[in-house]
Amino acid sequence: MNLLCIGISHYTAPLDIREKLWFSSEETSQILSLLKSIGIGECVMFSTCNRTELYVLTENNMLPSEEIKGILITQKSAEGKVQLSDLFTLSAGEAARHLFRVAAGIDSMVLGDVQILAQVKEGFQLATELGTAGIFMNRLFQLAFRAGKRVRTETEIGDGAVSVSYAAVELAEKIFDDLNKKSALVIGAGETADLAATHLRGKKIGKLFITNRTQEHAEQLAAKVQGTVIPFSNLFNTIYDADIVISSIEVNRFILTATDIQRALKRHGNKTLFIIDIGVPRNIDPEVKNIENVFLYDLDTLNLMVEENLRKRGAEIPKVEAIITEVLAELTHWYSSLEVNPTITALTQFMENIRQEELAKNINRFDPKDRELVELVTKRIINKIIHAPIVNLRNGQETSLTERLQRMSAIQKLFGIANLSKEDPNA
Amino acid sequence: MINAFNYTLPIIYFALVWTYGKAFFADKLWAKRAKTPILIGTIALHLLSLAVRAITFRHPPVTTIFEIFTALACSVAVTYYVIELYSKHKETGYFILNIAFFFQLASSIFIKDTPEVPEILRSPFFGTHVSSALLGYAAITIAGAYGLMYLMLYHEMKATRFGVIYKKLPTLETLERMTFTSVTLAFSLLSIAIFFGFVWLNRAIANPNYFDPKFIGTIVIWAIYGFIVIAKTLSGWRGRKVMILSIVGFLISIFSMTIINIFFSRFHKFY
Repeated sequence: MNLLCIGISHYTAPLDIREKLWFSSEETSQILSLLKSIGIGECVMFSTCNRTELYVLTENNMLPSEEIKGILITQKSAEGKVQLSDLFTLSAGEAARHLFRVAAGIDSMVLGDVQILAQVKEGFQLATELGTAGIFMNRLFQLAFRAGKRVRTETEIGDGAVSVSYAAVELAEKIFDDLNKKSALVIGAGETADLAATHLRGKKIGKLFITNRTQEHAEQLAAKVQGTVIPFSNLFNTIYDADIVISSIEVNRFILTATDIQRALKRHGNKTLFIIDIGVPRNIDPEVKNIENVFLYDLDTLNLMVEENLRKRGAEIPKVEAIITEVLAELTHWYSSLEVNPTITALTQFMENIRQEELAKNINRFDPKDRELVELVTKRIINKIIHAPIVNLRNGQETSLTERLQRMSAIQKLFGIANLSKEDPNA
Repeated sequence: MINAFNYTLPIIYFALVWTYGKAFFADKLWAKRAKTPILIGTIALHLLSLAVRAITFRHPPVTTIFEIFTALACSVAVTYYVIELYSKHKETGYFILNIAFFFQLASSIFIKDTPEVPEILRSPFFGTHVSSALLGYAAITIAGAYGLMYLMLYHEMKATRFGVIYKKLPTLETLERMTFTSVTLAFSLLSIAIFFGFVWLNRAIANPNYFDPKFIGTIVIWAIYGFIVIAKTLSGWRGRKVMILSIVGFLISIFSMTIINIFFSRFHKFY
């Protein structure tokens, strides 16, 4: 398999290096067009905050991988800042396996990351639009998407929250049916509060109130997550309207006591109240936990949840690897079936089967003394029909790999011999 | 034939519950795939058995407590199937069908053949009374099961245990809504059952005893469900308290249907 993968990821380089090789969609288009202009038939590239990867279908006379690495670095004007050794190179089956592992989320910084599959799809979509993804890349990436989908439906690699802020939102989703009909109050505007508010907005929370001692920070966060700013002095009145409270500020005393919450519940119509305290030191009196219909979780609980979820995801890796091996076998089989000799054999066999079938049905209509002649004539007809396609296939070995694959695929599709050659690629 | 059903049904219900348990606790793929077809098969067999019983003895099989138990098991299974079919929550079957299994087991052990039906049980008022009571008890059972699931999830979440109960059960809000819907249905159906039972009783029995334990037990159950409906609607009663009451209502119902009916009631025994 003439596949090459060149990339940079969190395994090979730190963030300050990786970010120098981050390509926007426009930059990706430029580099794909450039590679196409220098004679690379098929290439796909995607770039995320944790990785930039370029997949190339190589030819015998193609540029060495070091030169492609150089092109990537030059294109981003990162000479001297990014070394060739910061990038990795994988080839053939290993490159394909790597792509499947990426799509499955087991090569991600956060094990079982679900977003990566969409990012890989975007990269492939762009290459398709630019015409740099041909028959091989199409098959390779479709199989990668299938691997990603199977992994997510057949294993639990993506189950459970693996960040504190997401764990908080996941817990809320276990209590409330539809977050769209609920109100949330986020106390604080720091990084954790920001993440929690973003996740809540992502889950289409109905109303999102933000409050902070420094109103300006609250306003910035509110603008980002389309929330409503509440003055910090009005905190207690807002709790009455909230179903979810997430608190993450630095204080030396509890900002909400059990009495505050009990009072809020009475005005709240005894509805269920979900409170997350991710402040250090704690912002909310732990006694609140004992109030009926109130669910209070602190940072320790959320961290435990995240650790447990990561452990469970890790235990799923063997199942994921098994799926990837299956999909990789499918790719290898398909690729082998596209080689010239198996295709010619399959085509010849296909025609011979038709000839024999028709002869068997009609041979009795011929006089016994003519039967040998009929056998000979039909063989000649078949040989003449397949002569031109066979010659063209054989001559095609001197053309580019992409063109060869296209011819092979066209012949297989036209004569319906794809399955025949898949059953026995060596036939 | 009837005996064959009596032996077969508890075994099939056990297999059904076991499959649902495997799907819920062990996450077995085969169990997830097989559970609904087995449920459909069980319901079909159960309906057939009730039809055979009705044809053989020439009356609907709801004239004795253990006939009612088998009809109740079937009603619970059918109700659950409808829930599974029309809602997105397909993981609660283990808890609900367990109750159906125990109803069927008790019925199969104690049920007797009833070829002759007393004349007073042939009244249309009695038919309406029994039908609505049967559906009411099915709603009570479902409410009790959902209430139990709510409490299990509530305590798991309060205790910060995030195991299979946390993972598989629907949200607390869904469980609360399903419990309350069942409670409201139970209250409405029990109201109908009591009304028609009262009308029928006055026609069927001269000088009926309104202080009969069965009568008092039924009024207590009806009052509990009425209280839940009113308290939740008007006073904002929510969550744990409502669930505890729905479970208490279910347990009293079972007590009323079995112990009170068999040992203490005079007017509600017809054989």
